[in-house]
Amino acid sequence: MISRLSTCIGLAVAALLAALLAGTAIGETGLAPRVVGQVLANQLWQAGYPVDPIDAGIIWNYRLTRTLVAAACGTGLATCGVILQALLRNPLAEPYLLGLSAGASTGAVLVGLLGLGSLALSMSAGAFIGALAAFALVLVLARAAGPGSNNAQVILAGIAGSQLFNALTAFLITKSATAEQARGILFWLLGNLSGVRWPAVWLAVPVALFGLLMCLWHRRALDAFTFGADSAASLGIPVRRTQLLLISCAALVTAVMVSIVGAIGFVGLVIPHALRLLLGPGHSRLLPASALGGALIAADILSRTLISGQVIPVGVVTALLGAPVFALILVSRRGRP
Amino acid sequence: MLPRFATLLAGLSFSGLAQAAATQYPLTVDNCGKPQTFAQAPQRAVTIGQAGTEMLYALGLGDKLAASSLWFNNVLPEYQAVNATVPRLADNEPSFEAVVGQRPQLVAVQFEWMVGPQGVVGTREQFAELNIPTYLLPSDCEGKDNLIGADGTRLQAFQVDSIYKSVSQLAEIFDVQARGVALNAELKGRLDSARAQLAGKDLSGTSALFWFSSADLVIDPYVAGRQGVADFMLRTLGVRNVVESSEEWPTVGWETLARANPTWLIIARMDRRRYPADDYQKKLEFLRSDPVTRNMDAVKHDRIIILDADAMQAGIRLFRGVQTLAAAFASGKASQ
Amino acid sequence: MTVMAALQLAPLSCQGLGLQLAGKRVLHDIHLNLVAGETLAIVGPNGSGKSSLLKVLAGLRPPACGSVQLMGEPLAGMPRRRVAQCLALVEQQADTLDAINVFDAVALGRTPWLSAIAPFSRADRAIVEQALADLDALHLRARLWGALSGGERQRVHIARALAQRPQVLLLDEPTNHLDIQHQLSLLQQVQALQVTTLVALHDLNQALTCDRVAVLDKGRLVALGSPFEVLTPECLLHTFGVHGHYLTDPWDGTRILRFRAP
Repeated sequence: MISRLSTCIGLAVAALLAALLAGTAIGETGLAPRVVGQVLANQLWQAGYPVDPIDAGIIWNYRLTRTLVAAACGTGLATCGVILQALLRNPLAEPYLLGLSAGASTGAVLVGLLGLGSLALSMSAGAFIGALAAFALVLVLARAAGPGSNNAQVILAGIAGSQLFNALTAFLITKSATAEQARGILFWLLGNLSGVRWPAVWLAVPVALFGLLMCLWHRRALDAFTFGADSAASLGIPVRRTQLLLISCAALVTAVMVSIVGAIGFVGLVIPHALRLLLGPGHSRLLPASALGGALIAADILSRTLISGQVIPVGVVTALLGAPVFALILVSRRGRP
Repeated sequence: MLPRFATLLAGLSFSGLAQAAATQYPLTVDNCGKPQTFAQAPQRAVTIGQAGTEMLYALGLGDKLAASSLWFNNVLPEYQAVNATVPRLADNEPSFEAVVGQRPQLVAVQFEWMVGPQGVVGTREQFAELNIPTYLLPSDCEGKDNLIGADGTRLQAFQVDSIYKSVSQLAEIFDVQARGVALNAELKGRLDSARAQLAGKDLSGTSALFWFSSADLVIDPYVAGRQGVADFMLRTLGVRNVVESSEEWPTVGWETLARANPTWLIIARMDRRRYPADDYQKKLEFLRSDPVTRNMDAVKHDRIIILDADAMQAGIRLFRGVQTLAAAFASGKASQ
Repeated sequence: MTVMAALQLAPLSCQGLGLQLAGKRVLHDIHLNLVAGETLAIVGPNGSGKSSLLKVLAGLRPPACGSVQLMGEPLAGMPRRRVAQCLALVEQQADTLDAINVFDAVALGRTPWLSAIAPFSRADRAIVEQALADLDALHLRARLWGALSGGERQRVHIARALAQRPQVLLLDEPTNHLDIQHQLSLLQQVQALQVTTLVALHDLNQALTCDRVAVLDKGRLVALGSPFEVLTPECLLHTFGVHGHYLTDPWDGTRILRFRAP
């Protein structure tokens, strides 16, 4: 039992490392694997190989950081998806349900259009503030809909909040944006990792790990929600406290991820479902979900190289790939109870 | 050298023969597929777009200008005085009513996405209904499909002749053809002198990159591709553009640009502050501090030319821009 | 604790309990003291407040007035984990879309006893298996939830409650979906358990087999005592609106109720 678990963990970690390495080696321009190896060796243990400083910079500062952030995002978003699906008992729940992605779009668009760029307020900061503002509104709405922890209320409040902020975004873009602005904002909104450097890594990875650890700490509580909130309460879970804590944690992690890389959809919805189909609903097996954040790395590789010289937003690639993969999993499980 | 000089003389003398021509009204001008008719020389014109505005100033038609709009930079110093007398409708796009409220007899437009099938100000038909002729600068519609791509897509490379055409057509419309001929000659002369500066220099290994701006400072930048105005400037001088995309202003990753390692970097200076990268100081800061770009040859040896954003558009500033570039390429040092 | 004190300590009791739901008064002034080890049946017509009473006693809804004591301590201040270690509730209906198997569903009952330093162990596994065996559900252990019938699901819910090893067991109409065989055997098993049980029932004949019966009518406790003392024909007519009289079964001498429409 123990050895099987550690084998699984070992395999998952190995897969993740392989994916990280692939993400560092493959990119817009072709770099020989030997060069990649030399640069990593230089940085990690001062090997002292002679390499072109531009190549070294590209590998260490562009590609590796982008790969790490992609993995962290995949982990963070999948974890949030698991939390929301477990607590809200709704298979369609995903990280953007609480208005976070819609709020982030509005925040980013406001910064982009009002030209607050001169105040050194980046689109990322605007997105983060927007996401949290939308989340606060959704909480207030859910509260106002009546006391008592009613999942339907939360979901409806989330939908209302998302619609509101999406409408705001559309209004701002159509009213004020030039073609150039709309293009820049859209590029950002569909998810892209091109602006990522080491500071983003120091933000994304700890936040993702924090979310994951919080989830693991509460894995039994999440299991207890299987038959509903009342059932969880009678199994000894402090329901209101747990819901508030975990949902706020999910909101924070999602807001950070969206503000770093834009809105990468599909991951938070599909990966928990796909893994549940493969592994069952036990939350102790959440680890594979996070390791599959590496799936996001694969998407980033592809989005870099699909059209040479042009970058397709990651969000587009995850949707294009995710839908058929998910369909495949669904169909292959057909007939099995 | 000699053949060029001879052509210049021939061109000047030939235009000299046409110098005395006056415009016959009513005048019908075919502009971007739509014929525009003028009963007389317009007395009140409204411009949308700095290129058109400065072209009219260069033709000495500042007194005919009722209002201007859509500015990217401060007006050229030599036109400051006349510009002060012209009211500005908006720094960005004006509203249809604001334009029409000036009772113009001509609206000169720099971009088709301002006045065109998807025009944010209005369509050409809307103006035609009110008997207001619209003149689109040919450089934005000839050989270009503005319905594809965010900035429109050039179906063929930008031709500098479209600028000469704008000048002579506007001159014809306002019945100042002599000034038009003179202006065109001056502009051609600038191009020729720029080329002359580089005659005899081996530029086969020289490459360059135009950086306009970026949506966010560290994100993929908007750079000049083939086909556009910026690329024309490089081709005229015999320098290779490292960007191979046929879009006019594509986004290309810094990784690709750094590996291409252009000899020269040309960055845009503008007054607009919509994005942090609009400020050329921020662009320089980024280039010098980013761990990849600071190792580019152009950054290490300070071969960074700062050019007005307007010089990268189709207008009269283009020619001064070409001269700035030529001076830098010739001396091997970027001048401020 | 002496035997006398243990006998006197009511595992679950409430005084003056009242509850409001959506502005309506659902329970009025309920006094109840359970006796350790007994099986108490709560009966009453639909809408009399049986489910609500069970939920308040389990601590899932805060009372509008009055108080509840669990194992002698006030319920209001108790941490939920301790409550769950003493008391288990089986709801009328609880369902899930997850593809959980029966063993794991019952193993959830061990949640209040598990922690970071006390993970799921062999002993816990044995308890789960025992609970399954008690409910005649061992053969279902690998089945997925979606493949179970209504009655099987009910038995699994009860097995989960038993896996909690509570002192007090609250059951809300547990025999609803069960077939005859399992209805009879369930009640027998429940009564044989050492656990103090409070069970809401519809079938009055089943209530007769319990130690005591409480009758709820429109949120008020109108009668409490031994079954034959409480379920009199007058009570049946007044509360339930039916005529009823007792028959004695010649086979073994037990008395059963026979009902006639009014």
